[in-house]
Amino acid sequence: MATSVKRKASDPNIAEGHKKRSTQASTTDRAPEEDNHNDPVTNEPVVPEQGNGDENDASDDRDITVKNTTSRRNGRATATESHDIHIARETAELFKSNIFKLQIDELLEQVKLKEKHVLKVEKFLHKLYDILQEIPEWEEKTLAEVDSFFKNKTVSVPFVDPKPVPQTTNYKFNYKKPDISLIGSFALKAGIYQPNGSSIDTLLTMPSELFEKKDFLNFRCLHKRSVYLAYLTHHLSISLKKHKLDSFLQIEYSYFDNDPLLPILRIFCSKPTSDSPSEYNFYKTRFSINLVVGFPYKVFEPKKLLPNRNCIRIAQESKEVSLPATPLYNFSVLSSTTHENYLKYLYKTKKQTESFIEATVLGRLWLQQRGFSSKMSHSGSLGGFGTFEFTVLMAALLNGGGVNSNKILLHGFSSYQLFKGVIKYLATMDLCHDGHLQFHSDAENSSSSLASKYINEGFQTPTLFDKSTKVNILTKMTVSSYQILKEYAGETLKMLNNVVQDQFSNIFLTNVSGFDNLKYDLCYDIQLPLGNYNDLEASLASTFGSMERVKYITLENFLVHKITNIARYALGDRIKFVQVEMVGQKSNFPITKRKVYSNIGGNHFNFDFLRLKLSVNPAECEKLVTKGPAHSETMSTEAAVFKNFWGIKSSLRRFKDGSITHCCVWSTSSSEPIISSIVDFVLQKHISKKAQVSNNITKQFHNFLPLPNLPSSASTSVLNLSSFFNLKKSFDDLYKIVFQMKLPLSVKSILPVGSAFRYTSLCQPVPFAYSDPDFFQDVILEFETSPKWPDEITSLEKAKTAFLLKIQEDLTTNRPTYKSFFTRDESIPYNLEIVTLNILTPEGYGFKFRVLTERDEILYLRAIANARNELKPELEKTFLKFTAKYLASVRHTRNLENISHSYQFYSPVVRLFKKWLDTHLLLGHISDELAELIAIKPFVDHAPYLIPGSVENGFLKVLKFISQWNWKDDPLILDLVKSDDDMENSLETSIGAGSELDSKMMKKLSERLTLSQYKGIQMNFANLRNSDPNGSHLQFFVASKNDPSGILYSSGIPLPIATRLTALAKVAVNLLQTHGLNQQTIDLLFTPGLKDYDFVIDLRTPVGLKSSCGILSATEFKNITNDQAPSQFPEDLNDLSEKMDPTYQLVKYLNLKYKNSLILSSRKYIGVNGGEKGDRNVITGLIKPLFKGPHKFRVNLDCNIVPVDDDNVVLNKEAIFHEIAAFGNDMVVKFETD
Amino acid sequence: MGIEDINTMKNGFIVVPFRLPDHKALPKGKEASLHFMFARKHQSSNANESNCLFLVNLPLLSNIEHMKKFVGQLCGKYDTVSHVEELLHNDEFGLHEVDLSALTSDLMSTADANEKRYTPRNTALLKFIDDASINNCWNALRKYSNLHAKHPKELFEWTYTTPSFTTFINFYKPLDIDYLKEDIHTHMMIFEQREAQAQEDIQSSIVDEDGFTLVVGKNTKSLNSIRKKILNKNPLSKHENKAKPISNIDKKAKQDFYRFQVRERKKQEINQLLSKFKEDQERIKIMKAKRKFNPYS
Repeated sequence: MATSVKRKASDPNIAEGHKKRSTQASTTDRAPEEDNHNDPVTNEPVVPEQGNGDENDASDDRDITVKNTTSRRNGRATATESHDIHIARETAELFKSNIFKLQIDELLEQVKLKEKHVLKVEKFLHKLYDILQEIPEWEEKTLAEVDSFFKNKTVSVPFVDPKPVPQTTNYKFNYKKPDISLIGSFALKAGIYQPNGSSIDTLLTMPSELFEKKDFLNFRCLHKRSVYLAYLTHHLSISLKKHKLDSFLQIEYSYFDNDPLLPILRIFCSKPTSDSPSEYNFYKTRFSINLVVGFPYKVFEPKKLLPNRNCIRIAQESKEVSLPATPLYNFSVLSSTTHENYLKYLYKTKKQTESFIEATVLGRLWLQQRGFSSKMSHSGSLGGFGTFEFTVLMAALLNGGGVNSNKILLHGFSSYQLFKGVIKYLATMDLCHDGHLQFHSDAENSSSSLASKYINEGFQTPTLFDKSTKVNILTKMTVSSYQILKEYAGETLKMLNNVVQDQFSNIFLTNVSGFDNLKYDLCYDIQLPLGNYNDLEASLASTFGSMERVKYITLENFLVHKITNIARYALGDRIKFVQVEMVGQKSNFPITKRKVYSNIGGNHFNFDFLRLKLSVNPAECEKLVTKGPAHSETMSTEAAVFKNFWGIKSSLRRFKDGSITHCCVWSTSSSEPIISSIVDFVLQKHISKKAQVSNNITKQFHNFLPLPNLPSSASTSVLNLSSFFNLKKSFDDLYKIVFQMKLPLSVKSILPVGSAFRYTSLCQPVPFAYSDPDFFQDVILEFETSPKWPDEITSLEKAKTAFLLKIQEDLTTNRPTYKSFFTRDESIPYNLEIVTLNILTPEGYGFKFRVLTERDEILYLRAIANARNELKPELEKTFLKFTAKYLASVRHTRNLENISHSYQFYSPVVRLFKKWLDTHLLLGHISDELAELIAIKPFVDHAPYLIPGSVENGFLKVLKFISQWNWKDDPLILDLVKSDDDMENSLETSIGAGSELDSKMMKKLSERLTLSQYKGIQMNFANLRNSDPNGSHLQFFVASKNDPSGILYSSGIPLPIATRLTALAKVAVNLLQTHGLNQQTIDLLFTPGLKDYDFVIDLRTPVGLKSSCGILSATEFKNITNDQAPSQFPEDLNDLSEKMDPTYQLVKYLNLKYKNSLILSSRKYIGVNGGEKGDRNVITGLIKPLFKGPHKFRVNLDCNIVPVDDDNVVLNKEAIFHEIAAFGNDMVVKFETD
Repeated sequence: MGIEDINTMKNGFIVVPFRLPDHKALPKGKEASLHFMFARKHQSSNANESNCLFLVNLPLLSNIEHMKKFVGQLCGKYDTVSHVEELLHNDEFGLHEVDLSALTSDLMSTADANEKRYTPRNTALLKFIDDASINNCWNALRKYSNLHAKHPKELFEWTYTTPSFTTFINFYKPLDIDYLKEDIHTHMMIFEQREAQAQEDIQSSIVDEDGFTLVVGKNTKSLNSIRKKILNKNPLSKHENKAKPISNIDKKAKQDFYRFQVRERKKQEINQLLSKFKEDQERIKIMKAKRKFNPYS
């Protein structure tokens, strides 16, 4: 082995040298004949986006470059410049863009293994090699002899289940010197630095003389290996002692890739205790070493170990039933013979392909961030596709891969192209149901007959079949694991094709799988009654017989398989995919133990509990009916299966189209998704009656949403928008009435802009719930253009009011069921003359009409132009407020309403987010629109995650985003369009189903931001930050097509409030990541931290507003609507004000008075967050930092002050507190100051 | 020197302390809380503002009645007479800080606006009826401000106007329709008069130095003409890069007629590519410095 280590150690130097020589020429040197392999018929290979320039052009360019550079003769600068030009050109062709290449380079540099560490561990590997050579050979032993040999030893033989018994075991065990070599990434020099350490796989191949031809049957070779490993372990531990290495070296058994049939020995170091650790102590390198015991290549006939063969012969009652195939067992045996073969295969490919290793590293990172590994996915978790599988696939694609064996990848490709090629292949080619890929790992020369080929025949299991070794590389992968991989590959392909946004960090840097609740929409913890094994056994034993045992090997595998299948069948298209994880699964165990857990004692499973993780399909998840097969006279097998599966739930129903179908009907609930009830039902029915399925998290989040006081609201799904539709319907009626009125100027448009029109109001619209701050929904009224509008703002507003008066008159005389009144509107600062017409509809909704003319904008702009310089900022703010309220609101509402149909969970998520903001007293400072735009980020710009499919998932992603948003450096640029899939669907239906849309057409029709628009917005941000580098004036730059300036909704937020939002989100995410989601942590999320403020004032209003806000209390019977809630408007409209929130006005005036020195916050939705009755509020105050110290006395100080000496003053807090207390008077119940 | 000893600020302001009433929700301190107002005689050329005291930091919701009461108390204490006329420029909530109406109109003369008084927030002018009144009051204030140090108990207690619950909910009450109609009617009348007047002023011939008559068209207020003038004031486009409009000549000219044009263009492209490359390298350096390449963070 020493030689092999050395030989491989010298490789990188060669490779390095080769690389250096060829970097400059990598593309231009691409052999033309390789290009000819590109067969456009299927799977066009990755074509660099920018690389389609005309040939002549290119040569011309080169001339110019040469001329350009030679003109400035031989200067050093010229040389580097031409070199740079060369690289710049080349990368533009070979990589997505220059910056992408530079990013890749930087990333690869970052994750490089430290040379020092490699040397250190290699030193130990040499030593280990010597030690292994010292192990004495053995004599042939019977099992009884083996047993007695290990009887008094510390080491146990890690026999796999079922343990052999001496009576029936008539083959012999032995130990002869193994052939030792390094395999895996370390051997290929493709390893990377990993903070948790990585393992070095060392293969010890048992000599073939230890085996007989038929040893592959019935675990024989596996038992031989177990004894072999135990003997080796025994002597190794003695030798380690002898060489005085045992003080820091630790050894334990482990299962290779979690395969319970493949025990290995793991060697790792403990932390050095002394200052001068042994030279062999490689603790710091964080490596561990796996001793994998393999079988000689082709020692067994590979054909007999094909996935469809049975190799575990069990006694059976009737001979007619053929034994089931044992693919997992076969794979375990067969792949033990092929380790070295694949090393050679990959090594050869690496030699031929310059960027192979770099692409491997990219692949490894990509997989890691998404939670994929080479581990068995049959016992839960994502797996079966790690770096090894990625590289083998890449190698296969370098040698063909298309349906005509055409090459998918070329040896001259850059790392980016190789990576993208593999991702594209994974995303677009089905290797499971529709087809599979076969390749030859021992092809000496790439003759076409041995090229990889995609075969249109699927085996219903992920298949990457090696014709040479008969191994299916993807055996370790389950179907559900494969589906997830495919989905992520698809998402990544979209990111790679995205030329507008920089997706680098989303592809490689973000760890998607760090937190289950972010990655999946719904998670269920399933507790099986572990203590009473027998109970569970009773229900499982009937299904987990010997046939299943040989097929699935372990009960865990069987259980995972079963739960996955049940969930898939039961949930159908309600979910996108499902994953089962065994929480607490172990794969390492001490050398004194036979296996990872014992059969004795209560716990019979290798896990604590199961976690069922689902990715939801939002469009289908809440449908009421699970449809089964159609009813027929004679029961079809399908129908029988359906009936049997659902039991009492199954029923026959006749549908509108007359068809009669077997189906199950579910009921929705405001606090639980339908999926929860289904999962609960099927697991109890099919796994165990005692299985406890818990998902209180979802319930808890749902219950945070205010429950509207509407009939059967408790049984209304969170996705149900009917309360909003009712409001819209009422508006439509009113709309028609107003449109038909005869007015001096005819109505041009009536535009709804209120938040309920875009489904984002915190409380759902409830008739007559006029205490809700969102009760009166804004509507903008435009008349046909007229030059006669007054050219001065006050008069203009008066003129507008005159029109509104006309409308009111008309309404009162002709429509007595409608009530209306006027109020002054204060939404535009300094414009005190705005009057709105508030109309109450007979259906119980309220609309607030305001008039927009073509002259308003001009007048506000003119005010800026005319104002003194020191007033300009104030007037600019006024202009922004006007634009937001009157102009942009129309686009914003229309846009959000439109796309929210494509993002079903957006409405509940944004409403929950608003509730969260209001709980933390932030909603008074942050406009509705800003909150809505921030909350839509995880939907429209979801990469690298998937689009949220549950309330908690969306909400957590919003928090996660805010916590990570470095607004000082990064703008938030939103592409407010529907999801891609929805877009395609709508296009297809509008243009005619089946019509083929080419990509150019798609691009044209797409409403996505173009590159230049995106760049323009980025430029706006850069310019903004030039004048405000720390973001102290404007923190949140949130831009979209509706507002390319990015400042419309976010200017005027005080810096401490912005930082508080970020800090709160950070705390929340940290809390959840360290303590997980549970009742306490979720409650904490919604508990305001009032300790951080300088003073806190508790307020109480005489009248509780909860019921008049249309919210049901938790204590009440949820199916009975609240009697106290108003069911009509008061006769005298003056009485409306009695149930309005006085604290809002109090805070408004306090803010006006103290805006210079204090930041005051309070709750906006007193009905939601104001305690049980909705009569409580708080005002919290922060003293602006500037006013914490003394000031020189000036008349324009604008704050309440006390003199400290005859020249200086400080803020008179006492007096301010008295003023506030006097102002709030009876409403103030408690005043806390520090 | 304690706070008590300060009766006059360096810049001539008298310190006028008040004791503050207790509130049930506020913790009671050992010493009574005080509010400090500052006063100075106001000097102004504006006839309207003669006989005024310049007040800084008035207590919450102060109005002329409060001031009258206070001056009455003060005069009573020091046996003197003083009469207050009105409280000027008291804009506690800053509602009138910006006069949008004046700013949006061409008609109200801008010359006016320059003369308009801008008093800082949290200040007001207290106008007395005559010279004697202000002097009497001033002298009494001087004495009063000394009280703080010697007899703090004798300081006046300020009585706040406390708005009731109804005050706040009254903000939600509907506007009276008749009042609204009347208000609009009168306002529009005034506006129309003003408009007519202004129109006349403009139309009436303006004769300049050289004897030429300036003629002004009727249509000075077309929206487009206004728009062009002030569009650059839009704060939303403040941070945009302004693109040069392409002139008609440029539009028509062929860009690839001469060989040198093609060559130049390619040269330019290469230079662009290069500069972009350099830029990218810089960006990467910055990102690297910020540790943006750690996949394990």
